[in-house]
Amino acid sequence: MNEDILQINSVKKSFVRNIIDVRGKEENERFFIIDDLDLQIPREKITALIGGNGAGKTTLFNIISGFMSPDSGDIIYQAENKQMSIIGLLPYKITRLGIGRMFQDDHIFHDMSVLDNMLLADADDFGEFPFISIIYNRKNKIIEQERIEKANSIFKELFGEDNPFWEKRDEPAKSLSYGQQRLLGLARLFMGNYDLVLLDEPTAGVNPQIINQILIIIRSMVEEKDVTVFLIEHNMKVVLDLADFCSFMSHGKITAFGTPDDVIGNDEVRRTYLGV
Amino acid sequence: MNYIFHIIIIINIYIILTVSTNLLVGMANLISLAQAAFYGFGAYLGVLALMILKLPMIPTIFFVMFFTALLSLIIAFPSLRLKGDYFILATLGFQLIVFTVLYNWISVTRGPYGIPGIPAPKLIGIIPVSGIIPFLVLSSILAGFVIFIFYKLVHSPFGRVLKGLRDDEIAVKSLGRNVTNYKILTFAISSAFIGIAGFIYASYVTYIDPTSFNLDEAIFILAAVLIGGTGNIKGPVVGAIFVVILPELLRFVGFPSSIAANLRQIVYGLALIILMRYRPQGIAGEYKLQ
Amino acid sequence: MLLQLLVNGLIIGSIYSIVALGYALIYNTTHIFHIAYASIYMFSSYMLLSFYINLNIPFIISFIIAIGLTILLSVLIEILVYRPLNKKRSSLNVVLISSIGIMIVVINIIAMFYGNETQILNPNISKSISIGNIIITYSQLAQFIVSLVLIFIFLIFLKFTKFGIKTRAMRDDSILCKVFGMDINRMRLMLFMLSALFAAVGSGLVAFDVGMDPYVGMPMLLNAIVALIIGGVGRFEAPILGGFIIGILQSLTVWVFSSRWQDAVTFILLILFLLLRPQGLLGEKKRAV
Repeated sequence: MNEDILQINSVKKSFVRNIIDVRGKEENERFFIIDDLDLQIPREKITALIGGNGAGKTTLFNIISGFMSPDSGDIIYQAENKQMSIIGLLPYKITRLGIGRMFQDDHIFHDMSVLDNMLLADADDFGEFPFISIIYNRKNKIIEQERIEKANSIFKELFGEDNPFWEKRDEPAKSLSYGQQRLLGLARLFMGNYDLVLLDEPTAGVNPQIINQILIIIRSMVEEKDVTVFLIEHNMKVVLDLADFCSFMSHGKITAFGTPDDVIGNDEVRRTYLGV
Repeated sequence: MNYIFHIIIIINIYIILTVSTNLLVGMANLISLAQAAFYGFGAYLGVLALMILKLPMIPTIFFVMFFTALLSLIIAFPSLRLKGDYFILATLGFQLIVFTVLYNWISVTRGPYGIPGIPAPKLIGIIPVSGIIPFLVLSSILAGFVIFIFYKLVHSPFGRVLKGLRDDEIAVKSLGRNVTNYKILTFAISSAFIGIAGFIYASYVTYIDPTSFNLDEAIFILAAVLIGGTGNIKGPVVGAIFVVILPELLRFVGFPSSIAANLRQIVYGLALIILMRYRPQGIAGEYKLQ
Repeated sequence: MLLQLLVNGLIIGSIYSIVALGYALIYNTTHIFHIAYASIYMFSSYMLLSFYINLNIPFIISFIIAIGLTILLSVLIEILVYRPLNKKRSSLNVVLISSIGIMIVVINIIAMFYGNETQILNPNISKSISIGNIIITYSQLAQFIVSLVLIFIFLIFLKFTKFGIKTRAMRDDSILCKVFGMDINRMRLMLFMLSALFAAVGSGLVAFDVGMDPYVGMPMLLNAIVALIIGGVGRFEAPILGGFIIGILQSLTVWVFSSRWQDAVTFILLILFLLLRPQGLLGEKKRAV
């Protein structure tokens, strides 16, 4: 088995911008947000992706998880002795192959209960085909019970015996605090049995205490569940603390890759991104 | 007394229409303006089964459900690839195409002349169901059945996916659920049950013509759901009762029927405007339209 | 025969163009699925009927009053219904349903006062000119010329006036416009006025030719929406192109099949465009924001 779980080969993505100048003249301009990008994600490691705003980081995530298709290039995913291109697959198929994702703005189900948030994330989708749950009523009940147990044990594992999530399991997720919503988003990923997880700024906008909790959870993903983590991060302290590898993205390309110390010490990165 | 029974039968038909439509609007957040087309499919397919194939009642119901669902897929597959406004527009387009075909394909549907003399459906192949009391029983059973099925669906893992869908579609995709499939299934299920309403209507009234299934009717069905409320079972039922009883009330108050027809439409329109502003979940619903 | 039909198509296409332009002014900038536009269109015809036939006021003056009242209706709809919803940040579906509500109310109020029957403005058979085999009535000629003039003025206006540039800016990014201190409410109000002007002119011209009933708005609105989609959402030249295409296509439908299948052909075209080229003829795919 190759040691890289994901190989991104010369991916390109462009958009057309419609611009009106001061005189009211219209113009269409094509620009590349991802420009011939190559990157390998090492297996069972934590790789951070850093870079300025508009560098194309989230676009890259969108391409990997199938929400956008690139103009050209290929992405090879390798898990459990299978090696395949995931370009052109629908997002749900990519998830089913074992690539989970957490978005920048959480995307938890605010109006659904905390528990339903977890149950809907289960890797097994039995009963979700209409009428199946009515026809196989007993089996459905057993599986639902198993799902609830699974969610309960994940909560216990991550947040301890008396955690607010299990207590508030029947309340809508929007009743949780902002930090807790983020943690729920992370906990949800444990329902899915993923091999690779993409995290888009998991620590953005939450307090240091929650950041610590998030770091512990991400580490346990890698160490206990053998998951590979690929994350976008702006907090350099988190990158240095957490990541095994770090890649720097600028103008649609990866311009530096290595250990976090190396990359953050890199002259170009310091000058163009960190501003020191 | 017969008058009251008649009203209840019509309410039952509308309950089937609104509860089924609610699965689309209130659960999957899909606003469809093609509901009257499926209603029409159900009616015309029912006529086909009763008059030409001479099927007994229960096979007729299954026949209607199956083929209405199948025909709805012709609409669902292309439309569901579209987002937001474009989806609504596509359903609107299909509604108009279906109406035009029903209206103009005279050799098959008799077009504007309509189809009179629809025979009574026969229970177990022999006992004809006709007259007001049998239809009261039949429509009540079917409406109850539809409410039961939809209650079960909403409270199943399938219902959970739909709730997820209306809350955050992107999240559902990212959790490995095939959103398009779920929407297509929802569309087909909703249409299949709407087909039942068409069948009851056709066999109860014993005459159909395309004007019962035009865009105005599609808007009317949607309005009934939204006035009653979406997201639960109670809302659509309240909506059905409201829209059927209101014109009767207006008549009791003594408005001449020429004005009453317009007046009730004005009440529906105002109800929509006011509810959308102050109570987007409708009178008795729980889901705020998004 | 074919030539005559093509000319007819071109003429009705010019009407579709201006009505679609009015719709596009709202849809491109506010994204409101403005179904109530159907009733705004219909309203103008009935105002014209009131002043021209019932009160016996000269046609031009009646027409101007009718346009004014239609603009007033459009403004009222914006202020009483759309603006509060916009302030509440209601979703576009909520606005759409409200818009359907408005349409139902306006149509039925008109039907209550004027009845459901078709009414005509011009009982005489319109005089006509013939060029070769082609016959064009004066009212058709008026439709064509007025529409073209209106389109021409609008395009110049869009290109060279401050309001035109603001309109295009708002189409691109209304949040940014707000950030830059543009008075969005005032802008919207003006767009609703301008949009109603287009509807009112188109409606009056058609009503003079073929009369009206309370339900004329919906078919016209649908044609306008289809014109907008096949032209391309987002560009203001697009509905003009789309309008002419539909007009001509419908004439060809009459030639090949019969007028009964016009609607079906129009909506099949709509579905094809939605599926195969949702950005329309003139549009280009853009980054989703």
